Amino acid sequence: MRSALYPKIAVDGIRKNSKLYVPYIATCILMVAVFYIMHTLGFSDMLSNFMGAATAKDILGFGTFVMAIFGTIFLFYTQSALIKGRLKEFGLYSVLGMNRKNLGKVVFYETLITWAISMTGGIVAGIALSKLAELGLCKMIGVEPVYSFDIPVGSVLWTIVIYSIVFFLIYLNAFRQVRFSSAINLIRADKAGEKPPKANWVLGILGLAFLTAGYIIALKIEQPLSALAWFFVAVILVIIGTYLTLITGSVLLCRILQKNKNYYYKTSHFVSVSSMAYRMKRNGASLASICILLTMVLVMISSTFALYCNRDQTIKNHYPRQINASAMRYGYDPTYPEIAERLEEGITAKTEEYGTEISNAVAYYDYSMVGYYQDGKVDLEINPMQNFTTVDYDNVVQAVFMDIDAYNTITGENASVDAGEALVGASARIDIGSAVAVGDESFKVRDRIDDKMSILNPDMVNVVTTLVIVVDDVDEIAARYADVVDFTGESMISWHWRYLFDTDLDAEHQIELSGILSEYFKAEMENMSHVSKYVASQEEQRSDFIMTFGGLFFLGILLSIIFLISCVLIIYYKQISEGLEDQSRFDIMQKVGMTKENIRKSINSQMLTVFLIPIVIACMHLAAVLPIVHKLLMLFGHNNWPLLLITAGVSALVCGAFYAATYKVTSNAYYKIVS
Amino acid sequence: MSLLEAKNIKKVYKTRFGGASVEALRNVSFTVEKGEYVAIMGESGSGKTTLLNILAALDKATEGTVILDGMDLTNVKDKDVARFRRDNLGYVFQDFNLLDTFSLEDNIYLPLVLAGKKHEEMRERLDKIAGTLGIADLLKKYPYEVSGGQKQRAAVARALITNPKIILADEPTGALDSKSSDELLALFKEVNKMGQTILMVTHSTKAASNASRVLFIKDGAIFHQIYKGDSTDQQMYQKISDTLNLLAQGGDLK
Repeated sequence: MRSALYPKIAVDGIRKNSKLYVPYIATCILMVAVFYIMHTLGFSDMLSNFMGAATAKDILGFGTFVMAIFGTIFLFYTQSALIKGRLKEFGLYSVLGMNRKNLGKVVFYETLITWAISMTGGIVAGIALSKLAELGLCKMIGVEPVYSFDIPVGSVLWTIVIYSIVFFLIYLNAFRQVRFSSAINLIRADKAGEKPPKANWVLGILGLAFLTAGYIIALKIEQPLSALAWFFVAVILVIIGTYLTLITGSVLLCRILQKNKNYYYKTSHFVSVSSMAYRMKRNGASLASICILLTMVLVMISSTFALYCNRDQTIKNHYPRQINASAMRYGYDPTYPEIAERLEEGITAKTEEYGTEISNAVAYYDYSMVGYYQDGKVDLEINPMQNFTTVDYDNVVQAVFMDIDAYNTITGENASVDAGEALVGASARIDIGSAVAVGDESFKVRDRIDDKMSILNPDMVNVVTTLVIVVDDVDEIAARYADVVDFTGESMISWHWRYLFDTDLDAEHQIELSGILSEYFKAEMENMSHVSKYVASQEEQRSDFIMTFGGLFFLGILLSIIFLISCVLIIYYKQISEGLEDQSRFDIMQKVGMTKENIRKSINSQMLTVFLIPIVIACMHLAAVLPIVHKLLMLFGHNNWPLLLITAGVSALVCGAFYAATYKVTSNAYYKIVS
Repeated sequence: MSLLEAKNIKKVYKTRFGGASVEALRNVSFTVEKGEYVAIMGESGSGKTTLLNILAALDKATEGTVILDGMDLTNVKDKDVARFRRDNLGYVFQDFNLLDTFSLEDNIYLPLVLAGKKHEEMRERLDKIAGTLGIADLLKKYPYEVSGGQKQRAAVARALITNPKIILADEPTGALDSKSSDELLALFKEVNKMGQTILMVTHSTKAASNASRVLFIKDGAIFHQIYKGDSTDQQMYQKISDTLNLLAQGGDLK
């Protein structure tokens, strides 16, 4: 009898607070299930049979790690909110004669019950859903699913171990909360009159400053590499800015609204504004959290969605033709033209030997040097690697020298330049005057070819600012730079040869051909030092690309679902706990003459503000970081701004719809509590 | 015609599963004239709060009618009840029922805001009564920053500001110390002198001795009533005590 008392109290406690516990346990189940699914997909052998699975597995493995950390933090948060709402109950037990050890037992059994339900539910749901997720992932990364029903024991064990630890920590935290408060404190925990917070101008302005700084960075960055360096700075600034602004700004806003008598003393605003002002300190923090989570979801989904949708185009950007042979070597060598000719002939011969026609072929080479662009001159003395500062990346350029013949072959034009003249194209906004200098040589700009950049230099064009200089005789120009060396004494100029063509072969044979050509290539260039060379076929790369982008998109969807659900739960808990607090207030107001209609209106006005602020700000954040995200996607070879805008729009709409549904449900629950 | 007329009011509470029923009020009838200051006395559980709740339309009578200034409360539709209360009644509660999210000023404005009044008008009305109630300096404070007596005065201001036909007070001195109680009772008297009708439920003899008429309620029925007439507060106090003694001994005055 005695030993059964605590479990009984625990069960009762959960049942009587089902309004709070049902969503909490649902979250626990979901977290466990998602962890299990990711672990299964990421760590089991299921994926290893497929080609290129390594990338997808790496991504999922990383995701599992993120998931475990996020899950822990989030469950901690919800559980503290939950315990807070029940401190009064524990206070009563304590008045009735339970000591802290006894209370600890109640908390222990409650956690145990939640743990048991979450584990069973989570793993069962995980096993069921993982089959579904597996099909989804397979479809996304374009492999044939294997239908089998074996349950990976390793994943089950890992899930149990990790989440048992999480629950143990949760138990410790709950125990701490209950233990370190006296009976009287427990009973009065939610009664204490709280002074409405004062508006803090300094913090508010600081927050706006952070936000503006983050936005400016996000909008100003031109170069993908500097984007990579600055992205996290921008993200952190925006996060801090959001928190500060929402915490102080919301108080400020309420104060301003309260000062405006004609607005404040309106039936629908009066109650909502004052109760928001009263809670704004707490509100601000959770609004900011929701806002950040929403922004993460929007950025994640729109970028991975865009990457995934654009996969074919991206492959084309990287590998313009079915077969792409390329070789690169540092230093100047007068025999380059001959080597180029030999390689081209050799590959052509091998390909014809294989029994196919070469079509759509382009073979050319160019020379390039990296320098620091200043006042119309590419300075080769300032070495960017040596004087590394992030800002400088915007001015680091790769100068590419190309022969006019190669230019005409690629573009199909019939242009010409005289000696000392050049056609000049830049991939980013840099100022180019009437002449461009590279090191000691200067070239008169005959014409600008900025619009041809993407075909001239497809794989490099996006990452570093590229300056293409089309000259009359490229070998002669390159020879002038033969002696220019960098600080390590290495020659600065590099030679890059390409031979791109299509065939009339099917996918399988294209891959086979590229293998044969690779062999040939290796043999041919064996005795040449410092050369990097590869033959890549579109088809071969395709599965790798799809695997990467599919894996990212899948991870994006999974994480988004989890983040969204977290948002929903934060909102739900916030509103329910406020509803419980407000119950007595609305009771008083009804006695004083508040009609049901007034209550509805006032709840709607409050909810709308609470719900609208985060999503509006999240959309604002999205709009601000989209340019920098675009630059980052360029690193993946994605250069489709309109598509990114579309996916961003679609994600915002989907999130918005989901959010609206939550709003409806939550405000109904709130209304039911208070009236 | 009387301002308030309660006729044959009966209230039966049923337990949740429809088993035993408890009769809280049996056949209560009385009237309140305009400008009167009536106290209803009775022990805990005698049904006086139930009666007040019915008069305030917070609760529905099982039988009987309540007529306020010619309007039948039992006919007011559910959705109009709150509005009716706001426009016609002022309610003063034992535990003040001030909202801690509002300053005293905003607490007082609440019924007017709910009625959709303009801010200037609210301001004017508050200025008129704030002096009398002695809360002019406290308006910007929050409920937890002021004493119980001050809270109750703010609550009275909230009840008065709508110019109600009648003020209903439920144990208004119940949560106050004796000094604050005296001040509040003096205030009620003053407000009553200005023509405000007051109906107060109390079990404090002292509070009741301020009223112009005292109704005694026992076991859900009106048992006796005393008019103050020209007697002083002391004499009234004595009369009430005697009646209460009789009541306690289970005597019958009728």
